[in-house]
Formats: sequence, C-alpha cells, structure tokens
Amino acid sequence: MGGGKARLTVTRIVLALFFLFAAILPLLGLFANLANPGAQAVFGTEQFITACINSVAVALTSTVIAVGLAIAMAWVLCRTNIRGKAAIGVLMTLPMLIPSLAHGMGLVFLFGSNGIITNLFFLDGSIYGFWGIVMGSVLYSFPSAFLIVYDVLKYEDALPYEAADILGIPKTHQFLSITLPYLRKPLISAVFATFTLVVTDYGVPLMVGGKCTTLPVLMYQEVIGLMNFDTGVAIGFVLLIPAVVAFLVDMLNADKGKLSFVSRGFAIAKNRVRDALGYLMSLGMSLFILLPLCSFAIVSFVTKYPIDLSFTFANVGRSFNMNAGDYWVNSLLIALAVSVIGTLLAYFAGYITARIKGRSAKILHLVAITTLAIPGIVLGLSYVLFFKGTFIYGTFAILILANLVHFFASPYLMAYNSLGKVNENLEAVGSTMGISRASILKDVLIPQTSETIVEMFSYFFVNCMVTISAVAFLATTLDMPLALLITDLDAQRLTECTAFVSLMILGTNVVLKLIMAGIKRAIRSRQECAVR
Amino acid sequence: MSETTKLSIRGLTKRFDGSDTLHGLDFDVYDGEFLSILGPSGCGKTTTLRILIGLLAPDEGTVSLDGMDITRARPDERHMGIVFQDYALFENMTVLGNVEYALRFNAELKSRRREVATAVLDQLGLSEHLDKKIHQLSGGQQQRVSIARTLALNPDIILFDEPMSALDVETRLSLRGELKRIQREFGTTMIYITHDQEEAFALSDRVMVMGEGRIHQLATPEEIIANPADKYVSDFVVENLRIKMDSLARFMEA
Repeated sequence: MGGGKARLTVTRIVLALFFLFAAILPLLGLFANLANPGAQAVFGTEQFITACINSVAVALTSTVIAVGLAIAMAWVLCRTNIRGKAAIGVLMTLPMLIPSLAHGMGLVFLFGSNGIITNLFFLDGSIYGFWGIVMGSVLYSFPSAFLIVYDVLKYEDALPYEAADILGIPKTHQFLSITLPYLRKPLISAVFATFTLVVTDYGVPLMVGGKCTTLPVLMYQEVIGLMNFDTGVAIGFVLLIPAVVAFLVDMLNADKGKLSFVSRGFAIAKNRVRDALGYLMSLGMSLFILLPLCSFAIVSFVTKYPIDLSFTFANVGRSFNMNAGDYWVNSLLIALAVSVIGTLLAYFAGYITARIKGRSAKILHLVAITTLAIPGIVLGLSYVLFFKGTFIYGTFAILILANLVHFFASPYLMAYNSLGKVNENLEAVGSTMGISRASILKDVLIPQTSETIVEMFSYFFVNCMVTISAVAFLATTLDMPLALLITDLDAQRLTECTAFVSLMILGTNVVLKLIMAGIKRAIRSRQECAVR
Repeated sequence: MSETTKLSIRGLTKRFDGSDTLHGLDFDVYDGEFLSILGPSGCGKTTTLRILIGLLAPDEGTVSLDGMDITRARPDERHMGIVFQDYALFENMTVLGNVEYALRFNAELKSRRREVATAVLDQLGLSEHLDKKIHQLSGGQQQRVSIARTLALNPDIILFDEPMSALDVETRLSLRGELKRIQREFGTTMIYITHDQEEAFALSDRVMVMGEGRIHQLATPEEIIANPADKYVSDFVVENLRIKMDSLARFMEA
C-alpha cells in the first residue's frame, strides 16, 4: 500500500510539472509579449485586417460544407442499405493520415494551372485563392466532423421513428424534428471542432491560397521568413480566441447524464431510390478523398509533371538525396517517443481523474482538456519564446514535448471515458479482499481497456506523423520531421518529390493503422478464448 | 442464532453537505444473525455500510468487532465481505477466475485457491459455468458469482448493498431462498441493505428501520408489525406492507 501511494504521488508531481513547464508557463510568456508596442501595432494594419476577414470567411464556408457533408455521409452509412459500409467508413477517415500541406498539394496536382483535371477539361486553373483553401480545408477537416456525427448517429434509437411512422409523419419531417434535435450536441461539437481546425491551419492556405492570405499563413511568413516575433505573438493571441470559445462551448455542451445504451436497432426498409442516392453520395465523397491521394501516387513516379508523364523511380532517389530518409527516421523517432510517453502520461492522468477522483483530480482534468484549446502554431511560438537559450532548444526533446502537449487532450479523454465506464466499485471490493489499487489496475483495468490504449497510441503516432503546426518554428535542419520537408521541396519546385514525401507519410500511417488493427484483433480473440 | 454481540456500533456520526448524514447511531449486531437495514434512499443506510466495512471513516463514534475497536482498521483487516448491487465483478476474467483471483491475495487460502473456488461455486450452483465470461451470464448468475467470490474468503460478516435491485422478481425470489440457505450452512452474519419492506421482512431475523440518519426502530419483524416505534415506522413500513397485503387479499378472496 505504501509503495502504491508513493508511486501515485510521483505520478501526480510528474503530471503537474509537465503541464506547468510544457503548457502554462510558455503560454503566459507568450501573453507577456503582447505588451510589446510592436505586437500591439499589428492589430491596426491593413494586412492583419484582411487576413482576419479571409480567415473567418474561409473557416465559416469550410465548416458549413464539411459538417453538411459529414451529416449526409453519416446518414448514408447509418440509414441506407448500401453495401460495403465498413470499407466506406474507413475510407472517409483517410485524409487524417496526411499533413494539411499535402491536401493543398493534392489540389494543385489536380486543379492547379498544370493540373491533371485542369488540362483534361480545359479549365483555367484558378484553384488558387478562396475556393482552393475552402476545398482543401473541407478535405482536411471532414474526417473529424464525420467521426463526431457518425459515432452518435450509429447509436440512435429507432423507437421514435417507429412511433412517427405509426402517426403518419413524413420522412423529411422526421429528419427535421427527430434526427436533427438528436444530433444537436454532436453537431455543435462538430461545428466548433471544424472551425478551429480550419482557422488555425496554415498548410492548406500556404499551398493553394495564392493571394488570399489567412492569419496562420501571415503568422508563418512573419515568423519563419522575417523572424518578426511580435507579429507572431499578436496573431497567435487572436488565433487562441476561436479555440478558447470552441472549448468553452464544448464544455457547456457536454452531456451531463449517461447515455442509455439500450437502443433499438433500425430495420431499414427497402428503398431503391434512397440507396441509389446513397451510392452516389459515397462515390462522390470517395472520389473527392481518393483523387488527391491517387495524384500523389501518380506524380511520385513520373519524370516531369505534367510535361513528361513517363514512368520513373528517379524521384525516389532524388527525395532521398534531399534527406527524405533521414527526416522520415526523425518523424518515426518523434512519433514513437510521443506515442509511448504520451500514452503513459495520458493513461495515468485518466486513471487519477476517473478512478481516484478528489479535488486534485478535478484540477488535473480541467488542465488536461484545456490543452485542446491551444492551436499548435500558437503553442510552437510560445515554445520558441520560452525555451530559447535553454538546453532543450533545437533538440528532439522540445519537438517531443510540443507534440505531447498539442495532442494530449484527445487520448486523455479516451482513457478517462473508458476507465470511467469500468465498474466503479472494483477498488472498494478489492480493498475488502486485500487487493491493492495497483493490482486492480494491472490485472483488471488495463486488460479491460487495452483496446483504448491501442487507440491512444495510434492517435499520438498518426498526428505526430502529419503535424506541421506545433513543430514548424521549433525544428532545425537536423531534427526536422518529414512533413515539414514538403514546404522546402515545394519552394525548390521539386513537385514530384513533394508527392513522394506525402506518399511516404500516408504509407507509414497506413502500415501503423494495419498493425494496430492486427493488435486489436489479437486482443479480442484472446479475450474470446477465455484463457485463465 | 445466539445473542453474542458480533459487531457493536456506538455514537456513529458522519456529516456531509447533502443527504446521507448520520446522527449518532448506536446498535449491536448478533453473531450469525440476518440483519436488514431498511430505509428510503438518502436515509444514511449506504453511509452506515461503507463505514462498517472501512471504505469511509466516521467523524465520530466507534465500530467494534468481537470487542476489538476496528474504527480505523483497513477494510481487509475486518474479516468482512461486501456484495454490491452492480456485482463489481472482474469482467476480463472467467467465473472461476473471479473467485480464484480474490483468493490469490489471501495468505492462508492462496495455495488451495482452485479447490476452494470450485467448491464454493459448486455450492452456488455455478459449476456448469466455471469457464464462462461474466458477460455470458444472466444478472442473477452474476450476483451469485459475486456472492461466491465473497464467501470463498470465509468472512465473519457479509454486507449486502441492495444486491437485488437490478434483478427481476423471479430471480429475486430464488436468490432470497439461496441467501437464507447459505446463511444456515455457513453461519455467517449478514447485514443487508434494502429499501424494499417485503424483502427485509422475508429475509431478516431483525430489521433496523432508518430515516434521515437516525434509527427509528430495531426489532424482529413480528415486533415491528405489532408495535411500530413511531409514526414514521408505521407509515413507511407497516402501512406499506398492509397495502401490498390488501391488494393481494382482494384476489385471494375472489
């Protein structure tokens, strides 16, 4: 018992220090810089105001489209009789596996001035600008919105619809008066999550924005190009506002009561027209998602895109000459370190807040989910200002730390929810039998939440592979992750190599997802076997 | 049932902001008896139970077991077991695994854990289900596993926290009989928390009626019916039982 208590105290101290030095102090430092006259002067400039307007317009438009598509796709997968739902569901989340920069690149390959589709249909290649950003942002943010809506729609109860059918209420009316109100909470979450994701991203607008500059792009150019930190601080502060609002709305919006899991499944009636529309929708979305990904595969292996489309492996060699191999190893190292450390930290934080409770647990919970509100690009800048001159600046350690904080909240919530669902009296029963908390954790809780642990690991890994925001200001030429190489290669007009690098990242993530799916299946079959 | 005092509670007080406050409880539990603590939700019965087993410390008062003060003893030093309404089983383990796992932490029984676990599961009619997973069992069977797991450690006292609230009527009736049988065979003292008057009266040697953190009456069922201590007892217990009886009597006569 004594050893267990001591370990718990150590865990608490580690978590407290982690949040203090990796999140709270850097952000406070960032705000202190707002007092600089240089930072305040930014707010009045025309450049800033234009970027502000662009950002809001782009984010609002993208959010409406992405969430609309998410509802439609989720509905198709839950309420029609189309085949291959599982495969389509997985396909819808593929865009999560590549950096936002790559989404922008994909659109350029397809619709840019020399794009495949531009040339095929004699378009004018005017993807650059507002609609280009919107298209890329929709691609980039759609999977998140889709997952939120789909996860809730899957578990809707069929009973109200059966009652409505008996009362003779038309289907469209049922959708408006039963489905939409049921989806109100997840929709609010989806809207704010999408808006935040789009408004804080610089990857898509940097690639296809053309003259349409958004706030994150302005911040990126000022800090990276001109080393103008004051402007960065000012914009960073503004970018924090939508994120904080989104976070607060989500907190107030959170479901207080427990969801009832006793719901009647839907007996989906035969309806050819509806199913045909479902197939059409799925086909459209699949093309929208797959075309850019396929364009990477094609462009990676052509001699000179789009002039000479003969097949070649030369770009692979060229990419590796540009150190793509080294950067890939960097990415793997960072992703693995963050996945291991992050999963451990987030799981123990979830264990404390869900199973031990008490006042310190409440504070920990609040701090842990607050990290969700910090945009990566703001976190990165705050690290530059806070850690400059210290021993970890310019090392792998700072990249790992930034990613840990940036991606902490979601895996933490996975652990919190899953540990909270396990019977609350286990530790009490154990204590009457002389079974310590540590034994219950090891022998009961961890085995029961092993699938969640796999998901947490996978979330950290995939996000570290694709992230550009938190690491952009912190990486050096030696420890740079692979995703950041895309901007370098693009600047040197090595188009084919950017495609190949995007493909490498996608491939790595797909392989990881397959491994994780295999592990999950192994866990499940071991549990089925009921070996003692 | 002998009248040797097993458990002695004096001046038990616990203050909370909300409900479940206890105002100085005094009572004794006899060795081998079946005592029900009966009261509506928020009357303090669960708080009492959690203090008795050591999951909660009282603000004032003492709990003694066989004359020894155990107010501050750890839950596992009290020779008591507990059965919860939601079973609190280890869902990643099998039926046999649940009982064996608990025995692994008992120095005396550790080496014989397979033998002990199989025997006790057999007594609860679960020998066909040893290798099943918890989710493959019905609610009643799960509660039996939970009882078996507690019983295997051979505790002096078993506490039940509304163990049948989640079960259907038929299962409750059969489990009631089972509990009485177990008590006779093992001679274990049992303290049973419930809000169901009929259940308390059907099972118990004595019933302790609680309301708003106080004991209103502690007596045999017969005595409570004949002589309710106050208006609360006659309303909450006696009147309630009478209504149930009357509604049945109507059909019996017809």
